Amino acid sequence: MMSSEISTDTTSSSFRAWHCFVLAGLVGATVAVVIVQPTETASLVLLVLAVGAGSYVGFGIYRAVLPLFSTKFSARIETVGGRTRAALDREKTLVLRAIKELEFDRAMGKVSEDDFAAMGGKLRSRARELLKQLDVDGMTYRDLIERELLERLGLIGLEPAGIQEAPARRQVCGSCGTGNEEDAQFCKSCGAGL
Amino acid sequence: MATLGTYTLVAAFIACAYAAAAAVAGHRRRSTRLLESGIGAFYLVTALMTFASAIIVRAFVTGDYSIRYVDRYSDAVQPLFYKVTSYWGGLDGSIMFWVFLLSVFGAIAVKTNRERHRELIPYVIATVSVVQLFFLMIMIVSKNPFATYLIDTPVDGRGLNPLLQNPYMVIHPPSLYTGMVAMTIPFAFAMAALITGHLDDSWLRAVRRWTMFSWFFLSLGLTLGMIWAYEELGWGGWWGWDPVENAGALPWFPMTAFLHSVMVQERRNMLRVWNISLVIIAFVLTLFATAMTRTGIVQSVHSFGEDPQLALMFGIFISLTLIVSFGYVIYRLPLLRARNELESWVSREAAFLVNNWILLFSAFFILFATMFPTLSEAVTGQRITVGPPFFNKWMVPIGLMLLLLTGIGPLLAWRKSTIANLRQQFLWPTTCAVLTATVLYGLGFHVWVSGMCFALCAFVVGTISQEFVRGAVVRRGVTGSDLLTAMIGLVTRSRRRYGGYVIHVGIVLIMLGFAGSGYKQTAQVLLNPGEQVEVGRFVVRHDRLSITDDGAKEMHTAHLTVFKDGQEAGQLFPGRWYYRKHETEPTTEVALRRRLSEDLYVVLAAYDMADQSASFQVTVNPLVNWIWFGFAMLTFGTGIALLPESRFAFLASKSPPESVGATSGVSTTILILAVMSGLSNPIYAQQGVNVESYTATTGLEAELQNELVCVCGDCPHYTLAACRCALAPQWITTSDGRQEIARAGSEFMRGQLREQIELGRSRREILDYFIESYGSQEPLGAPLDEGFNRFAWLFPYLVGVGCLIGVGVVAVRWSRRDLATVGGASSSLEVVDAELDARLDDELRNLD
Repeated sequence: MMSSEISTDTTSSSFRAWHCFVLAGLVGATVAVVIVQPTETASLVLLVLAVGAGSYVGFGIYRAVLPLFSTKFSARIETVGGRTRAALDREKTLVLRAIKELEFDRAMGKVSEDDFAAMGGKLRSRARELLKQLDVDGMTYRDLIERELLERLGLIGLEPAGIQEAPARRQVCGSCGTGNEEDAQFCKSCGAGL
Repeated sequence: MATLGTYTLVAAFIACAYAAAAAVAGHRRRSTRLLESGIGAFYLVTALMTFASAIIVRAFVTGDYSIRYVDRYSDAVQPLFYKVTSYWGGLDGSIMFWVFLLSVFGAIAVKTNRERHRELIPYVIATVSVVQLFFLMIMIVSKNPFATYLIDTPVDGRGLNPLLQNPYMVIHPPSLYTGMVAMTIPFAFAMAALITGHLDDSWLRAVRRWTMFSWFFLSLGLTLGMIWAYEELGWGGWWGWDPVENAGALPWFPMTAFLHSVMVQERRNMLRVWNISLVIIAFVLTLFATAMTRTGIVQSVHSFGEDPQLALMFGIFISLTLIVSFGYVIYRLPLLRARNELESWVSREAAFLVNNWILLFSAFFILFATMFPTLSEAVTGQRITVGPPFFNKWMVPIGLMLLLLTGIGPLLAWRKSTIANLRQQFLWPTTCAVLTATVLYGLGFHVWVSGMCFALCAFVVGTISQEFVRGAVVRRGVTGSDLLTAMIGLVTRSRRRYGGYVIHVGIVLIMLGFAGSGYKQTAQVLLNPGEQVEVGRFVVRHDRLSITDDGAKEMHTAHLTVFKDGQEAGQLFPGRWYYRKHETEPTTEVALRRRLSEDLYVVLAAYDMADQSASFQVTVNPLVNWIWFGFAMLTFGTGIALLPESRFAFLASKSPPESVGATSGVSTTILILAVMSGLSNPIYAQQGVNVESYTATTGLEAELQNELVCVCGDCPHYTLAACRCALAPQWITTSDGRQEIARAGSEFMRGQLREQIELGRSRREILDYFIESYGSQEPLGAPLDEGFNRFAWLFPYLVGVGCLIGVGVVAVRWSRRDLATVGGASSSLEVVDAELDARLDDELRNLD
């Protein structure tokens, strides 16, 4: 169950900026309707829509001006070697799909065996490359999730039952207790020598 | 209200300019703040355009006639529905609608691609903003929809033209606009890829979906236009080769070509320059289309009017776009070089190349033929007409070729097909085609074009059914399920491919509909009450005329009883409606009896209330409903193809839906073979006066009635067989003292033709007679093949042959090039990690 203690959201409250504008729009629409008192339904609807659009404009201005003064918008985008993880993931999926399509085409007689070997070989190399790139710190994505899960469970004082221990090849930093790879010379979290 | 609207537009202009500047500056200076601010400004433009739209629609609904645009296109009694949709009824509003749509699409595109294509986003924003700036500038400088009357505010508006007060008017423009505007997004991504140099396949992934979306809505818009013309305008056809119709169809060709040739880039890394060029051309053609409609540079019934200032602005913008975009293409040519070469002409790559060439040629041809009258008038000072007869001659064979390609494409193998391969793939479809042709011939259907079309349809159906069945068999072998499950799994797994095949089936049905028009039967006849006429299997009896009124319009209706094969089969009520405040422009209400096998189409051409007699145009259109049904199939196929790929639970980070662009069908022939009928029958009768219909007496007269066109200036050059206007001839004296007719109605022209026929004149003599009486070649449906006009006939041939030679040269050069070492992993040096390989196989298995 999600609650604010274990939530990893960076903002402390759940109130967002755009809520403010929606609220303003609703209030504004009410005020406008009371003042103008339109007689037809269509006119009323459009008045509300117009005021709503007005509040959207307000949000747009906010969104355009605020980044110049605040760093909140430089979102932490996870990058892997210059490209986003999202982009790499996608490309991997696409390459895998391409391999499958090629296999299907061969079965349908649209690709000769030689061509299949050549084209398929290239695709497989690319896929392997991508798989390697996506592994962060020598750990697979699965390992990353497991580690985070361990941390979170530790935070709320639960013992991880039935979850594998991190592989023994790790070394633990004496200063901060973070697990590091076996060939690391400095702790990746506090920088102390290992 | 109006000033608020104007300021909103100005604010949008400023925000656009800022967005472009901030995005580019932010990117170059690596300043996230500036970039984010630019993105925010981009969203702000969307908000502002929404606000402006809300204002104008509110003005329509509340009847604020101080705004000129509202006054022009609305009035108090207009139904609410049409008040709201008058937003895009006129020129100014339609430009604002364009910017509104563009801002919405731009915002969506940026939002969904922020993560995936970070490096491209700044220039995507810049490009879309520049296009928006252009249209905003047009509005602010000259076509402001919020312009007001300074004095004399009207109390009631003039009302929307009754011809536009029908449901089609409501969905046809937005659909068409969506189709055209959405094409800006792929163009923006293409420009971003060119500018940043990231010319790998990532920009393709971003845009395939958008192009498919745009293509679909353009097809929808065009089909709706066809249905509208067929049902409402009453001239009996669905495509008149009117310049604005052609303009709308132009972007469709490069879009279709692109959707096909991306597959070649993905599979074999070829045709990369083609692909980027196709996107640019498609976008430029959308600009051109909108320019043609708005500036009146070609004479058309659809155009909003003449506007040289607007023509200049558009001209400059289009030229700049072409120069900048193709300039970048040339600059980036080294990066765009193909990594593979064409090895055989009997391969799928070659088929796609030919497909590209044919589609592009069609677009070019239509563009050229549409612009030719303007060109000719500018050069020779003579007015000519390029009408359906000219287009017919060219587009029919092209359409048939494309249909053939639709069938052949899926059968060819990648890289090269062997003879055994060919035999195995082609056997079944060819059998279908030959069988169909033989059977039809045997049954007595001898219209050769239609027959060929039917045979080709059978060929394509054979190909598609073969693909489905064989694919299901393969899948059954892999998954071990039964055939039906396998077939369903096949479609859901390869949505793009099989969605594409479904689209092709839709095309075949549409072609079927076109082929049917080769067997069209028509009669124009004057009937008294009780008299009847026989057309095909139908007998239509005229009973009486009536007049009714519903407050908004007065309706003059004829009551007809229909008999099919001797049995009574219902009643039909063709009529003419006279709307309040538009009494001089009555609408024609067509009476239609729709069946899958044929349509019975009756129009009330002219009538005399006093003695209850009336002239009718009765037509039997075989198979026409297959066109609409085919389009529905096309929609279904597009839906399949556009479905997002399902995610894989293990990959927790969002793997957004793959840009699943379908192998979109070659629907070219929707437009092209529309003219197979060539017998367009517009009904443009006079009110209440019977006209002599001059039904053709000799073969030559019938032929010429279908070639000569009406020059009344009110109809879009309908042929004499079709047009029913009775404008009296207006004589003028030329500078050298001769008498010439400046304008005349088709009634008068048919009389002239009858005279000439009775005098026993030959074809050439009759044509010369018309040229002399009208002082130019305008009454001819197609320019004579001599002098400057020879250019019209020759130029497309020249370009076509030139391209063929060009393609041949390139292909030969390609095949002689040394096998390029493809960039990427060289398998010899790579140590294949067994664990990695196992993981790869694992993931492949999980893919389904």
